[in-house]
Amino acid sequence: MFSVILYGRNDSHGYNLHKRAAISFNALAEIMSDPDDEILFVDYNTPDDHPTFPEAIHDTLTDKAKKVMRVLRIRPDQHVRHRLKTHLVALEAQSRNVALRRSNPRNRWILYTNTDMLLVPRNEKESLSDILGALPDGFYQVPRFEIPEMLWEAAFDRRDPVGNLAKLRDWSMRFHLNQVVHNYMPMKYDALGDFQAALRDDMFAIHGFDEDMILGWHCDSNLAARLALYRGRVDTLVDKLFGYHCDHTRVAAANNKGRATRMNDQDRFIWNVATPYVPAQAETWGWPDVEIEEIRLDRDTPYQRYSAGLDKAIEPATMPFVETSLEWQLFDDLTYDLPHTLPFVCDQVVTFPRTTNLMLVATRPDFVSSFAKAWKGMGFTGPILIPEECEGLPADLPGVARAPFAEQLSSAELFVFEFGLASQTATEPVRAGRQIGPLDKKRLRVVERLFKRAAASEADTRPEGRRVARRFIGVNVIYNKFWHAFTNYVGANINPFCSQVLAGPPREDDSLKGKVLKFRGRHAL
Amino acid sequence: MADIGILRAAIAPVRRLWRRPAAVEVAPKVGEDEQDAHAHFRDGLIKRRGGDSEGALAAFDRTLALVPDFADAVMERAEILDGLGRSDEARAEYERARRLWSELPPGAADRRYVYRRQGYFAFEAESYDLVRTNVRSKILPQIAHGNARLAHGHAAEALDSYERALKVNPKLTEVLALKGEALSAMGRYEEAIQIFDGVLAAHPQDVDTLNARGIARAALGRLAEANDDWRHQFDLLPQTSSAARACVAMRMANYSAAFNDFGVAISKEPNNAYWLLYRLTAARLAGAPTEPVTLPADDRWETLLLAFRTGQATEEALLDRADSPNRHAEARFQMGVLAVDGNPAAARRYWREVVDQGPPALIEFAAASNELARLGA
Repeated sequence: MFSVILYGRNDSHGYNLHKRAAISFNALAEIMSDPDDEILFVDYNTPDDHPTFPEAIHDTLTDKAKKVMRVLRIRPDQHVRHRLKTHLVALEAQSRNVALRRSNPRNRWILYTNTDMLLVPRNEKESLSDILGALPDGFYQVPRFEIPEMLWEAAFDRRDPVGNLAKLRDWSMRFHLNQVVHNYMPMKYDALGDFQAALRDDMFAIHGFDEDMILGWHCDSNLAARLALYRGRVDTLVDKLFGYHCDHTRVAAANNKGRATRMNDQDRFIWNVATPYVPAQAETWGWPDVEIEEIRLDRDTPYQRYSAGLDKAIEPATMPFVETSLEWQLFDDLTYDLPHTLPFVCDQVVTFPRTTNLMLVATRPDFVSSFAKAWKGMGFTGPILIPEECEGLPADLPGVARAPFAEQLSSAELFVFEFGLASQTATEPVRAGRQIGPLDKKRLRVVERLFKRAAASEADTRPEGRRVARRFIGVNVIYNKFWHAFTNYVGANINPFCSQVLAGPPREDDSLKGKVLKFRGRHAL
Repeated sequence: MADIGILRAAIAPVRRLWRRPAAVEVAPKVGEDEQDAHAHFRDGLIKRRGGDSEGALAAFDRTLALVPDFADAVMERAEILDGLGRSDEARAEYERARRLWSELPPGAADRRYVYRRQGYFAFEAESYDLVRTNVRSKILPQIAHGNARLAHGHAAEALDSYERALKVNPKLTEVLALKGEALSAMGRYEEAIQIFDGVLAAHPQDVDTLNARGIARAALGRLAEANDDWRHQFDLLPQTSSAARACVAMRMANYSAAFNDFGVAISKEPNNAYWLLYRLTAARLAGAPTEPVTLPADDRWETLLLAFRTGQATEEALLDRADSPNRHAEARFQMGVLAVDGNPAAARRYWREVVDQGPPALIEFAAASNELARLGA
């Protein structure tokens, strides 16, 4: 019957976002009763190494919310063409249009709202699906009522949408929450963007949201203006349901700078709108030709993929714990515990697109074979690119492509550099004062040289069309001689030794030292 | 040809000129009741904004006493009653307003958006009038006001609104096109065509304006040029716009295309009785086999037309309810369709009446014009 369209990213937009959103997702799912109903959440520009926002809070969502939610992930590299035109990190019009294009075509209605809204049918026995199913064609709004921050934060249970809706029915009268704020036509009500129900056909006919609106604010008013022209009328659903907004102004959100807030031009996008249509984007709105990843919360979850991958690569531990040490005298010992390290490496990659081409530059054959199994087990379909310069590694692993480093560099979308000892065996003790042998030195020199070249020339060697810097994962680069080498080139956070892994984008260092490093790295000096 | 036929043919051009003003779409026929109802409605809005709920209710009651299907007033009553805590009463009124709106037949799908919805649009006209007094020198309030008036047949008021918008930006082709629509609705076809020519010079693929120019050209008897516009429109419309394609095919009397596209349109909008009626019509005129029809269980005008077409209503019953130029033309057109096989002369007569007296924007006007041309009338 209807598709709810929401957007956001895995950040901290306003006060206690996680609670607001969980309350809202669960409440929206609760009032769905048609099998075609869906919540489309566009996760816009969350960093590649983070999970999407709904994945990050999935444990606070009800089974029903997880079942009806489709997460459409727009990657930073898909946003980058807008980056210089806007101060915002999440774009409403683009997000909502991407979802509209991919919404269930069997649904008659599209509902635009936000991740802090609860919709309360006035008749408790009616779902929103029932309500919309009985409505004549039109463009409908409801007034937005505010919930004081204390109330939703202190009294709502995230996973009890039925109880939360019941509380709202009570509070609305007890605390006089229901104040209808009328607005100039065509907006009808204040804060109209929290409930705009339009026919899916109408949204396609008018070419979706205006994607020129990239400065934030007024996207809802622009839509109202255009739909009001197109439909001739703005209808109300105030008799059917009330909309409540979890107020969150204790802390200003990123797009709210008080009087200094940058906004889309009101005159252009509201008062001087002259047509329902946006013909300039008639063929392009919602990025019809762009492949958008879709993630479900009720199946094939990141945890399921992660554990499936690792189960293929490592056996469960047989001892309560293993030991290692970061004492100073062990600084040159590059042995590490592979079964312990691999889960942290997989953790770094599992959120990337499954089609990612990953370059793996390594010394240890067992690391390569284990990682390849895990990679495949996690459902990745992109190849593992291993430069021919890396000797002594398994030759015929499925999903592995071998070629000269220079050839592979511009295909790689993610890098793993592993700094271990080629000669380490699975049974020997870890960090017990092991010396580096000549073969180990030879293999490590190759890894280090290729790492520096890749990091120093990253910006110049990206795959065609890619504009976002690629991420470098360093394995076994904490508290040993490659710590400095790695962090000279990669902007990694400080990580605990136990994780064994550092990761980040190439460092942007315009100092003399940075320039020298870059020059040396490029030319392998 | 009988003497009367020769005489008719001889004076046809003169008759057309003589009858033309009656076919203009402007709605000067708005009765005093409706004017008074509108005044009461305005009074109710003012009272409501001023916090006088009881006074507003009384004003809306007066509105509805004069024009019972004035849905805008019903909706206002509903909101006031709801706000007063009389929610049970309000609920019935909300539903009534929605029912009234939904029962209005949709406009032709091939025309500009402003003509695709029907209603009084009194709330919109009043609201945008208020907005434009506060948000001055802006385009949207003027256009929205103009559209509300145009959609209800007040083309002169609409023209005034569009001209105010054009004072803000004289080059806006979207507003120029609307101005052309208003002029066309007022019967000022030559001026309208001149404007449409300019719009199409800038936007040759503007399907709505192609349709509008076709209508204006057809109104002036320039049927071949009108068909050119509609053919161009038909070619430009995507396959997904089945209803629009079907309507414009119907205008051109391209019945096989209309038959197919109305089939798709019906699958998307099964409750639109006009699509069913037109598909039946297209089938009949294209010589396709008749399909069984299940009549909707209501007494809407278009259902009556369907009943007539399927032999379940008489000509008298139909004409009894043909209480507007539009309905009259629609009825006469269907009479022609029924008659054409057995009595082409009668069909010709009915269609001639549609062309002489019907509003040129009607699909039936264009289809009848093409049929007459085909029959050599």
